Amino acid sequence: MSKRKIPFYIISLIVVVSLAVSIKNVAESWQLQRELARAQSVAGEAAQQAGPQITPENSHTVEYRKFPFVGSRVAVWVIAELHLMFAAFVLAVPMFALIIELIGYYTKDKRYDHLAYEFTKLLSTSFSFTASLGALLTFMLIIYYPKLTTYLIAIFSPTFLPYVLLFFAEAGFLYAYYYGWGKFSPKVHIALGVALNLVGTTIMFIANAWLTFMNTPAGINESGGLLSVWGAITNFTWMPINIHRLIANVAFGGSIAAAYGAYKFLGARSEEEKAHYDWMGYVGNFIAIAALLPLPFAGYWLGKEIYAYSQSLGIVLMGGTFSWLFIIQAVLIGNLFLAANYYLWVSMERIEGAQRFRKFIKYLLASITVCFIVWATPHSLVATVEEARRMGGSHHPMLGVLGVMSAKNTAVNILILTTYISFLLYRRGNREATVSWAKLGNTVQFLIFAVVVSFVVFLGVYGYFVEAKVRIGLSVPQVLSVLFAMISVTVIDIFMFKNAKSIGPIRWGKIPARAQYALFFLAVTFTWLMGLMGYVRAGLRQHWHVYGVMQDTSPDAFTPTLGFASGVVSVTVLIFFTFIAIVFWLSGLSGKKDWEAGTGKTAPSKGGLDLAEEGQS
Amino acid sequence: MKNALAIFGFTVIVTLFYWYVGQQVPQKETYPPKTLEIRPDLNTAEMVEIGKEIVSGKGTCLSCHTMGQSGSLRFPDLGNIGAVAGTHKPGVSDVEYLAESIYDPNAFIVEGFLPGMPVIHKPPISLNDDEILCVIAYLQSLGGTPTVTMQTSHKFSGAAPPSQGAPAAAAAAGAAVSENLDGPGIFAKYGCMACHSVDSPAKMVGPSLYDVGKRLSKAEMYESILDPDAKITAGYPAGVMAATLKGGGFYEKVSSKDLNILVDYLVSLKGNK
Repeated sequence: MSKRKIPFYIISLIVVVSLAVSIKNVAESWQLQRELARAQSVAGEAAQQAGPQITPENSHTVEYRKFPFVGSRVAVWVIAELHLMFAAFVLAVPMFALIIELIGYYTKDKRYDHLAYEFTKLLSTSFSFTASLGALLTFMLIIYYPKLTTYLIAIFSPTFLPYVLLFFAEAGFLYAYYYGWGKFSPKVHIALGVALNLVGTTIMFIANAWLTFMNTPAGINESGGLLSVWGAITNFTWMPINIHRLIANVAFGGSIAAAYGAYKFLGARSEEEKAHYDWMGYVGNFIAIAALLPLPFAGYWLGKEIYAYSQSLGIVLMGGTFSWLFIIQAVLIGNLFLAANYYLWVSMERIEGAQRFRKFIKYLLASITVCFIVWATPHSLVATVEEARRMGGSHHPMLGVLGVMSAKNTAVNILILTTYISFLLYRRGNREATVSWAKLGNTVQFLIFAVVVSFVVFLGVYGYFVEAKVRIGLSVPQVLSVLFAMISVTVIDIFMFKNAKSIGPIRWGKIPARAQYALFFLAVTFTWLMGLMGYVRAGLRQHWHVYGVMQDTSPDAFTPTLGFASGVVSVTVLIFFTFIAIVFWLSGLSGKKDWEAGTGKTAPSKGGLDLAEEGQS
Repeated sequence: MKNALAIFGFTVIVTLFYWYVGQQVPQKETYPPKTLEIRPDLNTAEMVEIGKEIVSGKGTCLSCHTMGQSGSLRFPDLGNIGAVAGTHKPGVSDVEYLAESIYDPNAFIVEGFLPGMPVIHKPPISLNDDEILCVIAYLQSLGGTPTVTMQTSHKFSGAAPPSQGAPAAAAAAGAAVSENLDGPGIFAKYGCMACHSVDSPAKMVGPSLYDVGKRLSKAEMYESILDPDAKITAGYPAGVMAATLKGGGFYEKVSSKDLNILVDYLVSLKGNK
């Protein structure tokens, strides 16, 4: 049978007609939507005119107002999260800038001082973004949630004035710290950095009191009336959130700063620049991952306090509506660990002598993969009726065993230890211990790892055979043993590699571009994770503005699907990175050459610190 | 510029990947619990049906408890609770045991479990007395025979507010709750009937208030509420009422308006019923 070819002009005609029909349909649909919107607007205005007018006497009766298009909840959600992300960055950067400055001060190594300054350059624009978003959030709460805002003001009004005064102090210290770089004596400048951090942390602690009160209210009577402001501040989750945020901010800020280094590395034109920004990316990532490792422990404490406040609230968080959110979280954190380890392994390629550790990478990867899979295994599966019948319920006969906390706690603890080992290998990359007891030290370190891993696995398995009240307590020795391993091995390593022999240089700048993309991946993943966990912290209250005290009676009182929440988080993350791109661009302007009048061209920069040029020189 | 675009594209792809992960997990919207209408003439079978709905809905019982499961559970299984409720505490009926488990859940902890169940008649769950009676009927039906009716009383009757909803929701800006209740309503709201009878001279934990209006003046009535130990009725121990009212947060919750209405109601009780 011969095949008949359809002539090209017929295909073209079909495509053109289809396109024309599609355009016509879209145009009609657009027209229809505009007419509908106009009709709704007219109806809305009519309804508003027919409804009661707001007067001074009845103005307090307004409980909610509607934000156009997306609704009040989504609007406030996005702005609050953006404010939080910028605030986290603005609070975190001074912390590690100060630490890096201190390292530079004590080692007399100017590179550290320059690096700290470069991190600080990102602050001034970010600070303005944070303040603007904070003001916007406040206005939005007053406009769209007036009743809730009035209640929170009634509880926390004594904290507002100190908050504002501290904010002024924060601005003063921040700009003095930034503009005063190199203008004061190092000790005065470091003191400014310390003051900046203290004030910033206090501001965060105050704001944390407001938001944690909404989840675990305290200091009030059963009617919600205030008994004690201090009681309201020091509610169940206040200190755990303070600590958790402090650490998480450092991890998040480190990842964004590393992304800045990666961005500059990819655009670098000279080897010196590449070397400098490679180093900057490495330091930012080191800070991020070092802060990530203890973060799960702070998370345990926070979870424990939520359960201590209300078992129901804890169950909603971990076993109810939000249990599947933790599968998304497992994917995110698993990716964080994978990418962090990948970056370290690629980074080791630029260390002369680190090749001898390459053989271990496959085992580390296997460990991370297995732990990741266990951690991301859900307890109950999404299944059809027929599948569920075959499984004998929603729990898979084999995989269901991995979906419980005994298995997950074990997996995450080993994941942390594996990442720590990657760090250890990186640290030893081009060094060889010269102390006489090096062999013994290595053996002791190995034994510590072996014993701790065995202990963690034993407790994980033991958890399947004991009552719930015993099982819950097993996570504490698991965590403590992992902390013990990391601290003791680090201490041994420090002494063992004191005066170690260098077997080759670190070739900064000689790193593939894919390692820089790993840093971007980490930054986006950290930000997305922050958005997701911000959602669960607030969403946990479900239909309560203040849990058990003030009910949400708005049309948005329901808890949306995780898919919807993922959409809002994704949009927030993209807006955040658009803003961050502006921050990066503005921060880079100081290093640009001056514009020359008349020619429309730029001339070499005459003033200011051009650290991109100075880096690594 | 090329790098910036590549980085932007990469950021979008990673974000979309996580968005996609978010779409792959079960999607469920959770709505605030519905308020069920409970008529006073419900029969026991109807109460069981309503109780079942409350247990899986507003009561949020199944967030923690299982039905018909065994092994190392975190909270007691309810699959056979109707059969065993009357056996946990010697001399305590199944209704009284179940009521105590709901109103005062930490009074008795089943062996092998930890305390932690919230008080169900207070926020955030806030089941009222009638709803709790329906829950008891349903729990009795799990392995047993339901016996409660809408008229069944137990030692916690009256401890929960008779009306629905979250009482504290109206308490924004620290104002005390006022629900425009009448005297008997306020009497019930604060659980006074748990210790005092108003229908007959029968003695309970506290003296009958059946004819209290004949015995006490309005001023004495205020005094006996605000300072219960100032004058003790013969035959009753001192300190019990003060401790009960303080422990239940009565003095923090009651508004002056409610107190006036309560006192007016009590002085109107002259034993005429």
